[in-house]
Amino acid sequence: MAGPISELGVGRPTKRRAGAAVGGLPVADPRPAFEDGTLLGCRCVSCGYPSAQRDIPWCPACYRPVEPARFAPTGSVWSSTVVAIPVGTRRPPCGLAYLDLDDGPRVLVHLAEPVVLTPGTRLVITGTEDGDLVAARRTES
Amino acid sequence: MNQPMVWGVGTSSFGRFPERRVESLAWEAATEAIRDAGIGAGEIDAIVVGSVFGPPGVATRVQRGLGVVSVPMWTVENACASGTSAYHEAVEAVRFGRFGCVLALGVEQLSTLFSGAIVPEATDPEGAAGLPLPGLYALAAQRYFAEFGVTPDQLAAVAVKNKRNGADNPRAHLRSTPPTVEEVLASRMIADPLTLLQCCPTTDGAGAVIVGGDRGRRDDLVVEASAMVSGALWDHRGSEVWGFASVARAAERAFAQAGRSAGDIDVLEVHDAFTIGEIITLEALGLAPRGKGAELAPSGHTARAGAQPVNPSGGLLSRGHPLGATGTAQLAEIAWQLRGRADARQVRRHDVGLVETMGGGAAGMDGNACVVTILSRQR
Repeated sequence: MAGPISELGVGRPTKRRAGAAVGGLPVADPRPAFEDGTLLGCRCVSCGYPSAQRDIPWCPACYRPVEPARFAPTGSVWSSTVVAIPVGTRRPPCGLAYLDLDDGPRVLVHLAEPVVLTPGTRLVITGTEDGDLVAARRTES
Repeated sequence: MNQPMVWGVGTSSFGRFPERRVESLAWEAATEAIRDAGIGAGEIDAIVVGSVFGPPGVATRVQRGLGVVSVPMWTVENACASGTSAYHEAVEAVRFGRFGCVLALGVEQLSTLFSGAIVPEATDPEGAAGLPLPGLYALAAQRYFAEFGVTPDQLAAVAVKNKRNGADNPRAHLRSTPPTVEEVLASRMIADPLTLLQCCPTTDGAGAVIVGGDRGRRDDLVVEASAMVSGALWDHRGSEVWGFASVARAAERAFAQAGRSAGDIDVLEVHDAFTIGEIITLEALGLAPRGKGAELAPSGHTARAGAQPVNPSGGLLSRGHPLGATGTAQLAEIAWQLRGRADARQVRRHDVGLVETMGGGAAGMDGNACVVTILSRQR
């Protein structure tokens, strides 16, 4: 049913900012950043609310100031799926999970192995691939 | 304060119409609604348009053809709830006496923008990470599997029901022979566990609703309530699946305004962009306790002949999902049902109807917006 999705937005203007991945103009990368084995984000100085976004103006939960924070890469799966269709330039299968980081925010991660995981499964973010966070099953030591 | 009423409704056909000008879809819907209301186009004194992908200026091009010009006009974008958000603003404007007769219009043409599934928004953290909308709903479905023991068969039953209804809707995008549960589950996997027949198609189309005050016509429908909420933070602190809380917030307001509860509703049109969406929504509306919504389709409760028919039009799964036009299409179906003019789709009890539309696509929020409205016929 679908034509090659990578051609969308090529050669004709659309209202949607498709992003460079599908042939549009580049946009600022809104994805969480990962550096030196930790997820970069911010945390509220008052209530401790964690966010994987680094440029928010104040704590969205209590409106107090936020400060830069680093979150440990380990957490538990809240839910997961395997996407079986191409999305942008990504080829299926594509494992995705909401990962609740230990003492951190819930983040969307790509799964190193594209399988559906039981909620509660322990994962560790191992790095990024083309800017996407990638997580793998963790063997607890 | 005035009592808002629905005077008339109209829609285009729904499908893929890349050869048509987008405004012609809107003209088809608006002219039907204007005739249905029994008014002249010159009596409209404001226009509110819901559209997600426009294009920019589409509302003005619609005005030019209709000749409804110079009146206040504005366009709202609230993701999939854009059409019902436009309607909600029309209702509130009439309620507070700002305007006497408002055209609420939803219009969308997706066939000239996407060749398949909607490409996620590159400026959103999760859109940029490649989370498509079926993926978002699949994550909710997997959570329901694990938390409540919901089964793939129960999801498929929603598709079977809505596609059976849609087969009787001459304006629906998909009207083929209704599939069985087995056929739904055997269709191509999109995002585990959601198969192709559990996903709405991307659709072109338009819907229109004329909202005014009480002019003493028995055929006009009473807007008992209309509530619109935007999203709230959705994060690690909550146990609810994405979307549940935003629908619940809008529903609570709407039921309080109408002085009704879920059991009072005879017929519903709700946001079944994906099968799991209808299940979550019906729980959020209070038709079933949390975790039990998946039993409503298999038990026949929500079938056309059931106690509380849901999506007699075929829903988004059959009628299709022209994003900004979907809410106005849902409103049209409920209006036809309440007036007893839904032909082969007519439900038995049709005194009180409910429309729910919710839209999403912004990471970390439990929805972009949700509208719940309750309508009734005059006795």
